[in-house]
Amino acid sequence: MDFEFEAVIGLEVHCQLATHTKIFCSCRARLSDETTVANIQVNSNTCPICAGHPGTLPVLNRKVVEYGIRVGLATHCQINQSPVFARKNYFYPDLPKGYQITQFDQPLCENGWLLVENGDVSRTVRIQRIHLEEDAGKSVHRTGFSLVNLNRAGVPLIEIVSEPDMETPQEAGAYLRTLHSLVVYLEISDGNMQEGNFRCDANVSVMRHGSSQLGIRTEIKNLNSFRFIEKAIEYEISRQVEVIRSGVGVIQETRGYDSSKNSTFPMRSKEQAHDYRYFPDPDLLPVKIDSDWIEKIRHSLPELPDQKRARLMNVLGLSLSDAELLISSKFLVEFFDEVVQKSLLVGVELQCFSKAAANWMLSEVMRLRKEDNIELWQSQLRAFHIVDLVRLVQKQSLSHIQAKQVICIAWKTGQDVSSIVDQEGLKQWNDLSLLEPLMDEVIRDFPRQVAEYRAGKDKLLGFFIGRVMKKTNGMANPPLLGELLRKKLM
Amino acid sequence: MRTIRQIHEALEKKKISVVELTRDYLNSAQKSKNGEYITFCEERALQQAQEADDLLRLEKKVPWAQKPLFGIPIGLKDNLTLDGVRTTCGSKILDHYIPPYTASAVERLESAGAVILGKLNMDEFGMGGSNENSAFGPVGHPTHSDRVPGGSSGGSAAAVRANLCVASLGSDTGGSIRLPASYCGVVGIKPTYGRISRYGLIAFASSLDQIGPLARTVEDAARLLDVLSGYDPLDSTSSNIPPLQAYLASQSVPHWNRLRFGLPQEYFSGGLSLEIEKSIQNAMQWLESQGAQLVPLSLPSSQYAVAVYYLIAACEASSNLARMDGVRFGVRSQEAAETTDLTEFYQKIRSDFGREVKRRIILGTFALSLGYSDAYYKKACQVRRKIKLDFDLAFQKVDFIIGPVSSTTAYRRGEKAIDPLKMYLNDIFTVPANLAGLPAMSLPCGEDQEGLPIGLHLLAPPFCEEQMISVAQAFSKRGEGSVRGF
Amino acid sequence: MIELNEKLTCQVAHLARLELTPLEVKVFTIQLNEIIQYVEKLQDVDVQGVVPLVHPFDGIAFLREDDIKESLLGLDGKPKILQSAQDIFEDSFKVPSIF
Repeated sequence: MDFEFEAVIGLEVHCQLATHTKIFCSCRARLSDETTVANIQVNSNTCPICAGHPGTLPVLNRKVVEYGIRVGLATHCQINQSPVFARKNYFYPDLPKGYQITQFDQPLCENGWLLVENGDVSRTVRIQRIHLEEDAGKSVHRTGFSLVNLNRAGVPLIEIVSEPDMETPQEAGAYLRTLHSLVVYLEISDGNMQEGNFRCDANVSVMRHGSSQLGIRTEIKNLNSFRFIEKAIEYEISRQVEVIRSGVGVIQETRGYDSSKNSTFPMRSKEQAHDYRYFPDPDLLPVKIDSDWIEKIRHSLPELPDQKRARLMNVLGLSLSDAELLISSKFLVEFFDEVVQKSLLVGVELQCFSKAAANWMLSEVMRLRKEDNIELWQSQLRAFHIVDLVRLVQKQSLSHIQAKQVICIAWKTGQDVSSIVDQEGLKQWNDLSLLEPLMDEVIRDFPRQVAEYRAGKDKLLGFFIGRVMKKTNGMANPPLLGELLRKKLM
Repeated sequence: MRTIRQIHEALEKKKISVVELTRDYLNSAQKSKNGEYITFCEERALQQAQEADDLLRLEKKVPWAQKPLFGIPIGLKDNLTLDGVRTTCGSKILDHYIPPYTASAVERLESAGAVILGKLNMDEFGMGGSNENSAFGPVGHPTHSDRVPGGSSGGSAAAVRANLCVASLGSDTGGSIRLPASYCGVVGIKPTYGRISRYGLIAFASSLDQIGPLARTVEDAARLLDVLSGYDPLDSTSSNIPPLQAYLASQSVPHWNRLRFGLPQEYFSGGLSLEIEKSIQNAMQWLESQGAQLVPLSLPSSQYAVAVYYLIAACEASSNLARMDGVRFGVRSQEAAETTDLTEFYQKIRSDFGREVKRRIILGTFALSLGYSDAYYKKACQVRRKIKLDFDLAFQKVDFIIGPVSSTTAYRRGEKAIDPLKMYLNDIFTVPANLAGLPAMSLPCGEDQEGLPIGLHLLAPPFCEEQMISVAQAFSKRGEGSVRGF
Repeated sequence: MIELNEKLTCQVAHLARLELTPLEVKVFTIQLNEIIQYVEKLQDVDVQGVVPLVHPFDGIAFLREDDIKESLLGLDGKPKILQSAQDIFEDSFKVPSIF
């Protein structure tokens, strides 16, 4: 990173809401066929309203407002109790009415913030506003003409605008990841970036260190992966620095990102004059959001990622990295919570148990997931499996290696732990009558090491444990062996 | 045999069938050289008529209660959508537009048994006061064909007066029902904003537009109002209140000595033709003779009403008409179809707008532009609130406001066409009702020396159509200035 | 007081995607100036503290329930919405190239 210049980054995220219907009409909001995950046939998800036919009128979807309020509350925003819709007027083939219904003066939410963890540093990124609007249709380009598909026209969007609080591409990436996991947690969006559910535009400028004047900013549009966003911002920052140093200066413009070249390029703007002539939409009355409704929504909010992280670390004693890994997937962390819940019923030492359970989830379960190429929720593994397994290992009834075997079978078959243990004959060899002769054998076989041990080489205990373990095919309990051997060798 | 009641009696007495009735009206309408209709729904109408006759044969009497408009031939202003039937808004740009859905108000008419004869001529997209701005030719006045019938619902008013339909639907944004109704000598009502659903009314100015009935009698207009009114979940601006019982109201006599009629001094400060002034005075005298009180009052912001109206209407229209871009509907001219440049494509398609429409789109676009929006659009909206407040205050002192509909009777074609501003100033008495959302109507109250009709303008507080109808009915039955041709 | 000049008329016409003939530019500029001069009287009105009126009555929005209504198909089995359009290609609305 340059030390002469610092970057100023603001992000605008457009997130499609996962309601059943579009924002202003009753057509479907989801564009893939849930049964086949194929895209719905071109222009088959339309009606006179979202196709902008003359004489049609918009009617607001209640769920859209509710979802918007959810995000606003989760990002500590002030909720506007009388938000207003406005028309943004411009001509474009995929904009059926010749204007987009959006919000201008009176957005749904304002002045919130998001806590973002970027490696070791955590910072607050302020959210300027969150507002509701409708998505446009889609156009595909052929030689000499373009084709318009209005399936997506009218799909509900929230636009989340951050303050320009970020200074590095990594911070921007962290903010986006945090925001993304939030909207998925809140279940207000599928957050599928490849399908365009979650799109980001970045506003980037640079300024000389110590200067109080902001540089000219450019807007990088239509970034649809976290990796590309970081790279695009990184490129743009260095491009701007170079352009300033060369004396030319930054031009205020809209740019796109070419991932194959890892560079940004200027884009032609949609509306040359950028005069959208905003005015309140006379077809829509102001929405009335009373305090009761807001409180009702507030109470229905699930535990949010940063609350979860705090709980996992402070109450359950997990490390930051373990906590982060668990909360990265909603299903994973809910599974884990279920494990902890169930364990409380059987009386465990909470933190000790939790750390062990986390360990199993993050190592073995993740490994099985990769190996079998299926998700946790697609496997036969259940919370009670982990509970039983961890308890047996902690009681030393099962060795680590044996437990791995059990979990593998449980993952595939769903059989409960005790029946697997019986079936496979996996009892950790705690039986002294079985261990005694083996220990004696080892002592007999290695007289030199015995003598060295007795002379003071304590480290050799591990050697003896190892040899007995080998004889038991790993089925004995090392700590127990250690105790017994120590006694024997005295 | 012209009113709904008379037709129902004739149908029951088997003097005529619905099919015969429909054919009669269609024939007269098709023979007319005054340009009232743009499109006829002949096949469709006869089909509806046949179904009505079948039902009548079965029921043996007119199912008056469930279908108050049973068998009644009605015309629709051509800015109301009808699924599968060409809807043009009087514009070349929609010359071949076939809507894929029917307007809610029209659906209600059809459920009530009405037979839709066809689509009536109008000033393009509602912009005009004389029906001289139609791409399908002007409409001639029903009794004096060299004169204008008024606009923009010129076809709707002329057709009713000329017996080319029993009643019609029009729309009123700044007086577009009331002005032609007064010029043609029929009853025309603009209900309270939100009273009738706008879903399917091709928008001119969204916060001003309302659909309304035109008919020969107050009773008939009232019957239509009852059928049309009521909340529609497809129109967010429609009011969630019970539908009207205007017909019932028309059968009750007003309590005259409890009623106060306001006379805005601003409306009588000169500029009215002598005959109109006299006619309105006669009306006032009659009201007084019934026991009502006449109260002079002031509407201080009324001098700004036309300016406010033209700005707001133009701004909203410029946005509403942006969807006429040739992409999803409309027929592309050869030039438009051949161009490879998108901007040129839009321009070629939109060159089919008429001059007045273009003018207003430019005015509206300008008034919403960056740097001008506050001074023009926002300012107009602020003054609009003041105009509304004038009425709120006035209605604390009076129950109705009366005045003229226009300062002249129907003028000659071409007389005002050259000067748009002059045309706009003609709307001075009617636009305030749209700005404040109030119910208002034009009621025939006399004729001038040339036999041209004069209309009395009645304005009521929000949602008080029933009271207004009751007064209007009583007035219309007073024996003076009744409509010729009965 | 603003006065529209022909250049501004052209710019505004472009915003509205209207193509004007040179004569129209001239005539419209004159006519619009007259109108603008007329509406100038609004500048005299004291609107201190007056909230702009957009809807005649202070109603509140009706909120619709999130229930799906299936799209209509025409008699040919294709989306009904395509029937109104003139230039359809692969079930899409065809327009000149956007770029």
